[in-house]
Amino acid sequence: MRSLVVFRAEGEGFVPPSSKDFELPPIFGDNEFTTKPIFLILFSVILLSVFFLMASRKASVVPSKLQFAGESVYAYVRNDLGKEIIGHEFMRFVPYLFTLFTFILVNNIFGIVPLIQFPTMSRISFAYVLGIITFGVFHYVGIRHHGIFKYMKDILFMPGVPKPVYILLTPIEIATYLVVRPLTISLRLFANMFAGHLLLMIFILGGEHLLQGAVGLKLVSPFAFAFGIALTFFELLVQCLQAYIFTLLTALYIGGALADEH
Amino acid sequence: MARRDDNAAYSIVGYLLSGLLFWGGVGWALDKWLGTSFLLLAGLLLGAGAALYLVWLRFGRE
Amino acid sequence: MTGTLNLVGYGLAAIGPGLAVGMIFAAYINGVARQPEARSVLQPIAFLGFAMAEALALFGLVLAFVL
Repeated sequence: MRSLVVFRAEGEGFVPPSSKDFELPPIFGDNEFTTKPIFLILFSVILLSVFFLMASRKASVVPSKLQFAGESVYAYVRNDLGKEIIGHEFMRFVPYLFTLFTFILVNNIFGIVPLIQFPTMSRISFAYVLGIITFGVFHYVGIRHHGIFKYMKDILFMPGVPKPVYILLTPIEIATYLVVRPLTISLRLFANMFAGHLLLMIFILGGEHLLQGAVGLKLVSPFAFAFGIALTFFELLVQCLQAYIFTLLTALYIGGALADEH
Repeated sequence: MARRDDNAAYSIVGYLLSGLLFWGGVGWALDKWLGTSFLLLAGLLLGAGAALYLVWLRFGRE
Repeated sequence: MTGTLNLVGYGLAAIGPGLAVGMIFAAYINGVARQPEARSVLQPIAFLGFAMAEALALFGLVLAFVL
């Protein structure tokens, strides 16, 4: 990267939020495994377990409100993501898709819940782990379904192409299936959460900084706060959408691995 | 299974990205090795062309 | 603030493909809404057009990091 440009803000004391604001210090002593995101992950697991145990414990024909909430999420994942996309063998994968969807959804929404306000997936390692699990699942499913040689042949050699062209196309297929798919699926989730959180920080911290400035700046500050609040609702939309897209892509990859031909 | 085709956009972006990255990477490495500067562009064009061909093979054919 | 002009250039270069992708899918949705049975004919065309436009955007992305 050549052509580096340096802008200097004139006499401003405002430090814009940066990626350093995502590196939270450990809560207990020096142990790196006690940072906020780790506790949020554990908290989300407990929250989801308790919620769905409560929702499914006294299942009845006339559902309670709790049971209805749990069942509508489940039915949505099963019908719209499982049945529509994977096809007739979808029931085996519904537990995984459902866990993935609710887990990512809760962890994303932590980003706008007051007092928590940190989307766990804005730390990239969590997104990578989810991407790697999905990567393992869809390749395992494909190999089990087709046998390893037919699965690899299906991936590597597109039918109906003259032989020399395979030199050009096969590396692209390998790169897509082994690198680009797990990478993009986790980067998409990470980047959306990261950018959204940064955006909220900029507007709220900027509004606070304007409030401490001159009278003219104080008048502008409510607009920054109002825009920050509006963006919070926009973030809610993005967070739900990203949980949906991650699950959708997982279902698409599983469906593609199960498909009989391209 | 009409829904699966509706979401082809994600796979298309994946193919284009890996085509550009792989053949562009080959061009870049050859540039470093041979001391030339045009092979990066050639690799990128080749990768984009190959990826577009792959997309046509997978989604464009009847 | 520090940064690189390459990314500003990439931002500008992404405008065109962004508009193009929007127009392609707008036309596709319009066509399918007017004539639902044309969907299977229009779908490959729409996705090929999308791929062409998206390739340019990805070109910009790669060159922004390489040059």
